[in-house]
Amino acid sequence: MRQVTSALESHSPLQHGILHVTIVTLVIMFLIMVLVFVLLVAASLRYRQGRRPGEPDQNFGNTKLELAWTALPLLLLVCLFILTVIAMRESDPPVASASGADPPPDIVAVGHQFWWEFRYPAEGFVTANEMHIPAGRRLLLRIEGFDVIHDFWVPVLGRKMDAIPGQPNEMFFEASEPGEYGGTCAEFCGAEHAWMRILVIAQAENDFQLWIRQQQSLPPAPSEPEAERGAQIFRTTSCGVCHAVNGVSSGRLGPDLTHVASRQTLAAGRLVNNPVNLEAWIADPDKYKPGSFMPNAALSEPDLSALVRYLETLR
Amino acid sequence: MALNLFSNKSKILMSAFVGSDAVFFAFLITSFVFYHGSSKGRPNPWRDLDPATTGMYSVALWASSGTMWLSEQALRRKNPRRVRRWLELTFVLGALFILGQCLEFKGLFSKSIYPRTDLFATTFFTTTGFHGLHVLIGLVMLLILRGLIAGGFGREDYQIEGYEAAAYYWHFVDIVWVAIFFILYIWGTR
Amino acid sequence: MSEVRVALPTIRKLEEIGKRTGIFGWVSSVDHKQVGILYILTALGWFCIGGIEAALMRTQLIVPENRFLEPYTYNEIFTMHGTTMIFLVIVPVLLGFSVYMVPLMIGARDVAFPRLNAFGYWIYSFGALLLYFSFFAHDAPAAGWFAYTPLSEKPYSNLQGMDFWAICLVIIGIGTTATALNIIATVATLRVKGMSIRHLPLFVWMTLVNSFVILGAMPALNAACIMLLVDRQLYGHFFNANGGGSPVFYQHVFWNFGHPEVYLMIIPAWGMISELIPVFSRKVIYGYAVVATSTVAIALLSFSVWAHHMFAVGLGHTLDSIFAAASMLIAVPTGVKIFNWIATMWGGSIRFTTSMWFAIGFLLMFTIGGLSGVTFAVVPIDWQVTDTYYVVAHFHYVLFGGTALAVLAGAYYWFPKITGRMLSEPLGKWHFWLTLLGFNLTFMVQHSLGILGMPRRVYTYPNIPEWNELNLISTIGTYILGISVLIFLWNIIYSARRGKIAGNDPWDGWTLEWATTSPPPVHNFDDVPPVKSARPLWDLKHPEDPDWLRKSKKARAKKGR
Repeated sequence: MRQVTSALESHSPLQHGILHVTIVTLVIMFLIMVLVFVLLVAASLRYRQGRRPGEPDQNFGNTKLELAWTALPLLLLVCLFILTVIAMRESDPPVASASGADPPPDIVAVGHQFWWEFRYPAEGFVTANEMHIPAGRRLLLRIEGFDVIHDFWVPVLGRKMDAIPGQPNEMFFEASEPGEYGGTCAEFCGAEHAWMRILVIAQAENDFQLWIRQQQSLPPAPSEPEAERGAQIFRTTSCGVCHAVNGVSSGRLGPDLTHVASRQTLAAGRLVNNPVNLEAWIADPDKYKPGSFMPNAALSEPDLSALVRYLETLR
Repeated sequence: MALNLFSNKSKILMSAFVGSDAVFFAFLITSFVFYHGSSKGRPNPWRDLDPATTGMYSVALWASSGTMWLSEQALRRKNPRRVRRWLELTFVLGALFILGQCLEFKGLFSKSIYPRTDLFATTFFTTTGFHGLHVLIGLVMLLILRGLIAGGFGREDYQIEGYEAAAYYWHFVDIVWVAIFFILYIWGTR
Repeated sequence: MSEVRVALPTIRKLEEIGKRTGIFGWVSSVDHKQVGILYILTALGWFCIGGIEAALMRTQLIVPENRFLEPYTYNEIFTMHGTTMIFLVIVPVLLGFSVYMVPLMIGARDVAFPRLNAFGYWIYSFGALLLYFSFFAHDAPAAGWFAYTPLSEKPYSNLQGMDFWAICLVIIGIGTTATALNIIATVATLRVKGMSIRHLPLFVWMTLVNSFVILGAMPALNAACIMLLVDRQLYGHFFNANGGGSPVFYQHVFWNFGHPEVYLMIIPAWGMISELIPVFSRKVIYGYAVVATSTVAIALLSFSVWAHHMFAVGLGHTLDSIFAAASMLIAVPTGVKIFNWIATMWGGSIRFTTSMWFAIGFLLMFTIGGLSGVTFAVVPIDWQVTDTYYVVAHFHYVLFGGTALAVLAGAYYWFPKITGRMLSEPLGKWHFWLTLLGFNLTFMVQHSLGILGMPRRVYTYPNIPEWNELNLISTIGTYILGISVLIFLWNIIYSARRGKIAGNDPWDGWTLEWATTSPPPVHNFDDVPPVKSARPLWDLKHPEDPDWLRKSKKARAKKGR
């Protein structure tokens, strides 16, 4: 799975400003570093012991010089501060509209231990770990923490934002062109913080609308007997307590599985989503993600493959 | 000689310490103010406080600062009998305050109000509880001073300075209570 | 010579202490030098343990999806690594040098409260052991060294690890506060005649400022720990969003401690650098007043920048900009220091001892750490790189490249005074170059890792080619760093017994600690040379050109004009 995760790339107008100020700042800092290094090396070479006899001239300081190297950095920092404020407005424009009313969010991202829930309130469906967005459209993203503090971060698309329980945050979110962009939870949130990855899939408007319609639809009822038996197992074991499949179960503690087979990864980026991995994951979640709350359902081999067969129909 | 090994080092130490401790109380009081009104559960949780009764016990605590000061004065005048008397009175007044706080807490517990009840109770018990702990430590300190006085402590200049340094702590605890009383009981229940 | 040496009062108890020997002598000692050595050696011991933890972490991260450590174990180890290095290593080792050196540098017999001094050390030692006992109680803290709520709260850390963490930090904080109080009282009352505030050695100056920072910062940590404990043990609601509390409030309280803490881990190190760069450059510190007052400015500013740790919290642009401005401002006095140190070297006659190499290493590495620190004040950069390996790289450049290199410089500088023997210079050079190499290999690449999107505190990472190579380099660097530490340990053990005899004043120093024997006697000095400037021994050695005369000449010249 190839993902672009570098903060030195920009695929969003919201990231342009950040990238710009990052490069300007890094160049300034690099130049200052070079200046200090050159001065130090020059001092070390020119004034090493033994070039002149006796103790050197004792120079107690020079107020003008010292004022100069106080004032110049100060001036530089004032410029940097102005750049900072401009870049802040550019890359994180205020969310409230001119009228002051809070517009409803397009997508709600909820951080859970240890996966991401993405709600599309207007379209009325929920998905997990993979967020589809229309390229070129500016969306309002609302970020919430379900249990502990998480942090929503997709580097190439702009700033990160904490997902805090009891204090939802909002920010704009946009990808300028279609593509797949990697991200992750960036605030330490417990045992499996490492596997709380985000995949943002930006699509052309038409593709996005297709995806929306697919997500809104109910998955087709399983037709072959093996899958049907799998559905039976899903309903009768505890799967549905945590996992929702529209029309079958409504658990909210784990990822929504209504269209699980259409997603690229399992367990928030831990595994590539294919039948073999899905089976291995359900058979022993602790092997892949020891801190996750997915229990080992202890299914028999035939039950397990039937269940996987069923889950593979959820497209 | 300019170098005096005992030029008020105890007072410097104690002033710096109470300054630091004041910051600690500032955070506790800030938590109370910050969360005032955002408590969930009971409406107007501050109704359960009784500023009048607590106010009476508070007067005892504040008065103890005065008696402590009188005992310091007596020590300077080398009058150990009066030192003892004022010190003991200080202890009694301090103990009275602790008694009042125990009764207050008992009353709240009997109404099933505990730190876990709601945010108001959490901040209230933490702030006043830690102040009570400070008063208790102060009482132990008074006992130690009383023991020292009985053993003839207080004749040397440096001992007087040390005694006054210890008194700084007692005065500090009383001053903190002024802030706590007016913020938690007066502002907080208005 | 007309100057009279200053006699110090005799303290009979000190002589008694000197007679105690063996382990009992160390345990019962209230001598500031013995307490200082205990502090330094204990911190060195914990440094090795924290270093082993670091090596374990880097070994886990050597390849993607590694299975060397369990996730929860990794989280315990990185939490303990941070907590250990900050609370059990850096702060105590600086306190150790302070309690050892301050009385010597101000010409005193001991600290103002010797018993309190010993208490400070032992309570720290006890707190440290109790913290590590949590491993034996089967649950070490695992919520990171700043223990953000609600992760550190009962529902999400339901074993006792976080209770150990909060209780031990309060205990260790008591020791730290006690020692800070002691240093303030010592500097305020025990300075030898003539040592006015303008004549204080800069190390003492900065230690004093640092003690005030400790007094201002520790209460915030205590408050945060106490509130956390009330939540965990009494089911309080301080940081419980369901009960109306705010997890962000914890962050405000914690960083009110946490940011001053960052400075109190570097200020005494600056003091060491300000002592030994002049001595090895054979030139007086450039702009004594500026170096001293800029420290005060930094100390004050350090209390007004805490929220720059919270730019990703969503505080709003107004608050973000205010804290960004304050954080940028703090870079000014820090930069001034760097320039003043370089100006001290400029025109000097530099002796490249190991100590001086470490000081130059400090200047280079701390400059990088300081500059990468400024990038966090540029809020949009912070929005990208906070909580990534870029932060990890930054604060290691400040704390290892800064504080640790300065402390090592100080160790090579004062080891002869403390033990009477020189540390081996050839071993020292190996130590220095391996440290510099290992350190930069480990942490330079972490800047890139962070910018390339690798978050911090992950026990493993997906197979992303750019990350893999950099992580491998970083781990190799850690092993090199480990070897350099072993060389240092061997150098200490070897030199303490077989090192070259140092003599009283091996570096031709200028402050009072070099006016007594090495190691100093229990009572420190028989008498102290007259103090008329910040360099009393320079005045003594150069009667033709003493500092105090030059100053009065200058003043006269000014008046004449």
